[in-house]
Amino acid sequence: MSGIANSLVTYAREKHLSTPTLQRWQSWSEEDQAALLPIARELQLNENQLRDFLDWLEEIVARDGVTIRGVLGRPELQHPLETKLSRNDKLKAVKDALRKLRYPRLSQLEDDLRAAIKALDLGNRVRVSFPAALEGNEITIEIKARTSEEVRDTVLQLQQKLEDGSLQRVFDLLDEI
Amino acid sequence: MKLYQPNEILIEQGEENAPVVQRVRARLPHVPVRIVERGWERDGLPPLEGDTFSAGKKRLLFTRQRSTFLEHCPAGTSGLVCCNYLVVSLISNCPMDCSYCFLQEYLANNPTLKVYTNVDDLLSQVATAIDRHPSQQFRIGTGELSDSLALDPLLGFSAHLVPFFAERKNALLELKTKTDCIDALLTLDPKDRVVVAWSMTPPDIVNTEEHGTASFAARLAAAQRVQEAGYRLGFHFDPLIEYPDWERGYYEVISRIFSTIDPQRVAWVSLGSLRMTPALRSTVRRRFPQTRILSGEQVVCADGKWRTFQALRVKMYRTILGWLKEAAPHVPHYMCMETAAVWEKVIGYTPSCDKDVARTLIGGIG
Repeated sequence: MSGIANSLVTYAREKHLSTPTLQRWQSWSEEDQAALLPIARELQLNENQLRDFLDWLEEIVARDGVTIRGVLGRPELQHPLETKLSRNDKLKAVKDALRKLRYPRLSQLEDDLRAAIKALDLGNRVRVSFPAALEGNEITIEIKARTSEEVRDTVLQLQQKLEDGSLQRVFDLLDEI
Repeated sequence: MKLYQPNEILIEQGEENAPVVQRVRARLPHVPVRIVERGWERDGLPPLEGDTFSAGKKRLLFTRQRSTFLEHCPAGTSGLVCCNYLVVSLISNCPMDCSYCFLQEYLANNPTLKVYTNVDDLLSQVATAIDRHPSQQFRIGTGELSDSLALDPLLGFSAHLVPFFAERKNALLELKTKTDCIDALLTLDPKDRVVVAWSMTPPDIVNTEEHGTASFAARLAAAQRVQEAGYRLGFHFDPLIEYPDWERGYYEVISRIFSTIDPQRVAWVSLGSLRMTPALRSTVRRRFPQTRILSGEQVVCADGKWRTFQALRVKMYRTILGWLKEAAPHVPHYMCMETAAVWEKVIGYTPSCDKDVARTLIGGIG
């Protein structure tokens, strides 16, 4: 067995990876296997996390005709790996970056929605959220209040956002692509 | 396209003399035959090896349907708009092997391509159902668990189905296919009661994902021939597949269809986004590692199936529908397995009930 093959088996044993997941990783070229291993070690990817990485990487490769090592070497992924962060924050940052490569238009739309909601400037008593993966046509508006005056002020504020069109903009964005 | 050749024919005891069995044995004299008892799966036949789903397609079994043939289309899932379609299946499993096919999951443990011999029972069940409601119009299809025509050169079922529906005033038969196996249809008179429908995808998707099917050009040529023979046509852009060049691909498909066939004789067009359960995705990944269909921006929807995310699929529906309306403004259209929210955004209304959609589709023919 080659060096990389041994290293993968060792990692799989440490993380209790299933045989199909290990076999899938092993089916890649040695260069690609080797490109993922230090990242998996750094992020301590478990079975489910690794499976997400394998899915997304293979899907990007099939779509864009690139190599896995090429994707993993991109600055968007390398930057969070080189930044001093906790393991959890680093994992989240790398996953977010990889998701953006895998779902570029969905991620862009989510970013636009977040920006439009931030621009509403509704303060910390109002929370506006959109459906997971943007499936559906409803946004959720939650109001926190301690008194009826706070409710009234928030409703007036929302009324103003309705009138100036900025709340409508959030709805419009839900299917703007 | 290459015609189906099984590796083995299994005949359930008692079905040896069924007309369809005799016909197939006469046409495939070189294929080994084995008579099996009911429950033969437990009788110790050699297990299939390797890709058992592929291998199962090559094991042709003749048996009887012992329960009802007529069923509601399973696309009528709660939360989704349904078109009130009925299905009958004389065949279970398909000789072709599209990478996205739901049968890979639905028939995962099915080790055969099953053909039911009791065609007369099917016809009598349909007659009973539709005669009981003479004022209601029925749309009935055979393309749920198999391609409607792929095995027709071998089995000859269209010779039973087309004349039966031709004489019915309140039912339409839809034969859905990805083949060009239409020769038998050309000798029959459908009397406007039979719609032959093609599932259409851009040629590069046909070539890479729809294994064993007829080419796009062959399907279109076949559609033209059956239309000239008096059949109405249907077209299903289902699954609608999002890939980097989808706009060019689908534009070309629509242009070529409507510059070849007469839109006045098109009964309906449907659109339906590619949808897959998580289990089907895993199977596709395993059986077709080179596939590109998993690479679209698909997410999990409320019904647990993966689809292109809503904003993008709404854009695809709107774009394609725009081209369709330009090319064939009077052809009725509908969406398959979509939510009321998506209907509202794309079509501009949500049907008040399932029968609404069906009425629109049958209205142009009825």
